[in-house]
Amino acid sequence: MVEMLSPLQPVWRPGSHGNFADGVGVVLSETQPGSIVQVTAWPGEEKTVIAAIRTASGLSLPDGAGGGIATETRAAFGIAPGKFLVVSEDEGLADALVQAIPINLGTVTDLSHGRTALRIAGPKAEWVLQKFFAVDFSLPALPVGSGVATNHHDIFAHIQRTGEDRFDLTIFRSFARAFWTALCHASEEVGYEVR
Amino acid sequence: MSPRRGNTAGRVDRTRTIRFSFDGKSLTGHAGDTLASALLANGISLVARSFKYHRPRGVLTAGIDEPSALVTVLKGEEREPNVPATMLEIYDGLVVVSQNRFPSLAVDVGAVNGLAGKAISAGFYYKTFMGPVIGPLKGTRFWMVCEHFIRRAAGLGSAGTAPDSSRYERMYAFCDVLVVGSGPAGLMAAKAASEGGARVILAELDSRFGGSANWSGETIDSLPAADWAADTVRDLSGRENVRLLPRTTVWGYYDSNGLAALERVTDHKEKPGKGEPRHRHWSIRAGTVVLATGAFERPLVFPGNDRPGVMLASAAQRYAAEFGVLPGEKIAVFANNDGAYAAAKTLRDSGAAITAIVDVRADISAEARAIASAVGGHLLLRHAVVATEGGKHVSGIKVQGFDLASRRLTGEARHLDADCLIVSGGWSPVIHLASQAGAAPKWDETLQAFLPPEPAQNWIGAGSFNGRFTTAEALAEGLSAGLRAAGGNGHPEAVPEVEHAAPFSEPAPVFEIPAKGKAFVDLQHDVTAEDVRLAHREGFISVEHLKRYTTLGMATDQGKTSNVPGLAIMADALGKPVAEVGTTRFRPPFASVSIGALAAERYGDIKPERLTPMHDWHVAQGAKMYAAGLWYRPQIYGKPGETVEQAYVRETKTVREIAGIVDVSTLGKIAVQGPDAATLLDRVYTNMFSTLAVNKARYGLMLREEGIAFDDGTTWRLGEHDFLMTTTTANAGKVMQHLEYYLDVVWPDLKVHVTSVTDQWAGAAIAGPKAREILATCVTGTAVDNATLPFMGIVSGEIAGVPVKICRLSFSGEMAFEVYCGAGHGTHVWEALVEAGKPFGMVPYGLEALGTLRIEKGHVTGAEIDGRTTASDLHLDWMLSKKKPFIGSNMLGREGLVAGDRLRLVGLISLDNRPLNGGAHIVEQVDEANPRHSIGHITAVCYSPALGKYIGLALVKGGKSRHGTRAFISDPLRKRFGPVEIVSHHFFDPEGSRMHG
Repeated sequence: MVEMLSPLQPVWRPGSHGNFADGVGVVLSETQPGSIVQVTAWPGEEKTVIAAIRTASGLSLPDGAGGGIATETRAAFGIAPGKFLVVSEDEGLADALVQAIPINLGTVTDLSHGRTALRIAGPKAEWVLQKFFAVDFSLPALPVGSGVATNHHDIFAHIQRTGEDRFDLTIFRSFARAFWTALCHASEEVGYEVR
Repeated sequence: MSPRRGNTAGRVDRTRTIRFSFDGKSLTGHAGDTLASALLANGISLVARSFKYHRPRGVLTAGIDEPSALVTVLKGEEREPNVPATMLEIYDGLVVVSQNRFPSLAVDVGAVNGLAGKAISAGFYYKTFMGPVIGPLKGTRFWMVCEHFIRRAAGLGSAGTAPDSSRYERMYAFCDVLVVGSGPAGLMAAKAASEGGARVILAELDSRFGGSANWSGETIDSLPAADWAADTVRDLSGRENVRLLPRTTVWGYYDSNGLAALERVTDHKEKPGKGEPRHRHWSIRAGTVVLATGAFERPLVFPGNDRPGVMLASAAQRYAAEFGVLPGEKIAVFANNDGAYAAAKTLRDSGAAITAIVDVRADISAEARAIASAVGGHLLLRHAVVATEGGKHVSGIKVQGFDLASRRLTGEARHLDADCLIVSGGWSPVIHLASQAGAAPKWDETLQAFLPPEPAQNWIGAGSFNGRFTTAEALAEGLSAGLRAAGGNGHPEAVPEVEHAAPFSEPAPVFEIPAKGKAFVDLQHDVTAEDVRLAHREGFISVEHLKRYTTLGMATDQGKTSNVPGLAIMADALGKPVAEVGTTRFRPPFASVSIGALAAERYGDIKPERLTPMHDWHVAQGAKMYAAGLWYRPQIYGKPGETVEQAYVRETKTVREIAGIVDVSTLGKIAVQGPDAATLLDRVYTNMFSTLAVNKARYGLMLREEGIAFDDGTTWRLGEHDFLMTTTTANAGKVMQHLEYYLDVVWPDLKVHVTSVTDQWAGAAIAGPKAREILATCVTGTAVDNATLPFMGIVSGEIAGVPVKICRLSFSGEMAFEVYCGAGHGTHVWEALVEAGKPFGMVPYGLEALGTLRIEKGHVTGAEIDGRTTASDLHLDWMLSKKKPFIGSNMLGREGLVAGDRLRLVGLISLDNRPLNGGAHIVEQVDEANPRHSIGHITAVCYSPALGKYIGLALVKGGKSRHGTRAFISDPLRKRFGPVEIVSHHFFDPEGSRMHG
């Protein structure tokens, strides 16, 4: 199978950068999941679709926008009422979801190529994200597993907290390089490592 | 030791010497000094020249309210003017210059303006604007003559022209409780709210938390107040639910408890740390705001009140107690309240002599009297200062009897020795944020001050902000506010006990001493008491008009020390109480905000770059990239020595003769999915889509509701309930919003979802006579012959191991195919296609060639869908279905939309063999000197290799009826005039035989 080309390639600089004399505040990475899929439910079919997502991905989503769940290999959260983003390290999740969700329940849209998955982790992850998004990233306001659909200027972003100090960001591919560059820039203050 | 610097007291670190320069002179201070305290410690009191009269000015305050001591900070080529010396923390290598003086601060020729005082009093600018009614300089001409000189003579510091190399950032923050101000009230509020479990942000505009506790000399809970404050801050800094923001000015209070703050992160550092911003703009959303912003001491207005050496009493106390600096050695006090007596005590205790205490009141409190007795000097009750003496510094004062009831001077003036005069005219609560939050302040006759209004948003006031000026009241109110702000969750603790409290009394209602001489109200804009009265005499009775006419309170300090005295003088002139005269409302910002901080991370990076999957390939091939909205697209793939025209002509010719490949990934792509997807498309497109077969595509046109053309593109049916809509690059976002609006608001019953998949697909279009052959050599899994892939057909296959979808459609008039694959495979497939095309001589082509191919075919290029044209104007009326309604269909027949003289699409050929200009007008008769009578304009231009001519598309009155006629291009701005022929927009292969092969 032909490898997917990362949009970050020319600006991908592994290693430590910025002010890391006292340790790195954040680790930045591109997670390159095999599947990024948007699932939607027609009004009234949300619970059925959530059950179907569980069947296809093994993820038990809570009901409602913003609620979500994250494991080491898969994650999903409600990006809007009746809309979910499901991410897996395995390829082919879209096909499995299409099988599980017929058109009378909702729709499945494969975005595996169209979105770039970035991860920011570390003690200063909240601090760095606060520079970009008008979102309360504190743990009580955004518990592990939950997420938000938001934007930074012209760049849409789905952000899911996948650990106490870890966030996964799903960005439009065409903006990924610009956003990554801005993310690195904003992380200089706290010291960052790319890996 | 500096002669004015004590050995003890203060926040300065005497073990660290800081070297800086002021007006080229090398000076030293200590870590913790502000520029003001360091200059005073060096015996420098002349710091600035005033705005209009160039009068010598010194340091009046010790904080953000400073009107006079403004300086310019130099950093290499960069300069920042109008920085209050009282807020500027010194660091090694700081370079500061004074401003608004020539040739020097000590000898300033502009001071001659002082002699023309009457001529340049209030309203000077307005009168200059009007000018004389007759003569060569009548009207605004007079102003035009004066402006040059006025601008040179007046003003503050001059801005730099070098680009700002600093870094700025934004920060969004959320909290349960935002406490603004960290004096005793703010500290108590933060502590109580934090103990109640609230997430707290404590913002302090100074570098040091504690406010008045740092200099009051009081004792709180048996500790010196400064130590109590330091302990409390240490405690707060260890709490996880508290964020401390020093050097942070909360400057704006907006709706829904949204507040704006500026953190000066590295202004006090010689060099910022790696990645550290200079300023950080905080956008804070708070559940409750505790306003503990304190109060500003007011000056009194009397002749000579602006001379260096005149200082607010609290500022002098602060310099002595907090910085260990004495502003003078023989200090006189002038007051209308007890507060200044505490300052006198601190100054005496710090080593200064108090030569006199001049008080307008007949009676003072026993505490004040005891202090007066202890500090020595004359206690002159029922007296006022009527003048200051000296040149560029106070060398003495004149005092005279004063009758409080009549507010008249009595007896004779007499001289008193003093090298510094400290003044207190009462206190004005800092209610700016509360006022910004949406209500008018209220005048309190007892306190002679404006108090905060009833909260219009969720804020709670505490301490001096509320007009509760004692520390004991501040602590109690802070505690109460903190508990309330935390929702009553905290455990009430005892209010800390205050000992050695500073005396406090309400001020006597005196703002101005009626003596002869220039008495300044607004020191920064040089507005005198007489200016205020002049404004009244000239009919300005509204406070809003007064402000604008005199410019009182309109300088960079926004009248922090002058608004209330100015208002009181105006009220006196009107013969009305202050409460009836009213006040202006405060608006953001509370203090100066750097524009860089507002731009934040966007400074120098105005918009993000949007890149196609093949972007790096284009760049590597030497493509000249072109910004198209946020996208970057190849303009041309030029060869060495080629002009843009030569390059696109070569590329276009190759497409017509062989084949070319172009990156079309930027086209908007929207997945339209659901059982009602076809129904939605029938409604939003003018033509029918429900009849479209699976694996077929159709060109569609959308109108706006009023019948105007909106967007065009092809939509592919990939499945029964699954469509891939393409839009123009420019309108992708608008079309998405349009669809979402209709689905959410107008037709929520339709089961359709729309998703942006622009970035999911990489798109390459191959066009030209050899396109099919090239494709056939690299596609597997499907044939691409006419039977398998007819015009507007879609097939699925593979190229170089990657799944692709291929649609046969053309915008160039040639046999053409669009090849889509996953974006992550875009470059891989593109390179395979380029490789396949090499044996044939296929070339990549850019936007210029793309446009040329479209213009030659007469296809609209985007500029024709300009929000004014209809389908009919563009000759697309064949796409208007008569079998169904669609958005815009009801409005199509409106009179104005079918009028015969509408601008309609035509082709143009340049008859002088010179390029045409986009945007140029078309006229019937050319008149270069007096261009007029436009009959239309040019929308797109190119050199057509197919025709061997410069051609263009245009929107011209009458449209087709003018075919075959001559007209002229008229472009006076670019000086392009010349004859053109109006022709059909179908320049090339009007039958469309080439694209069908």
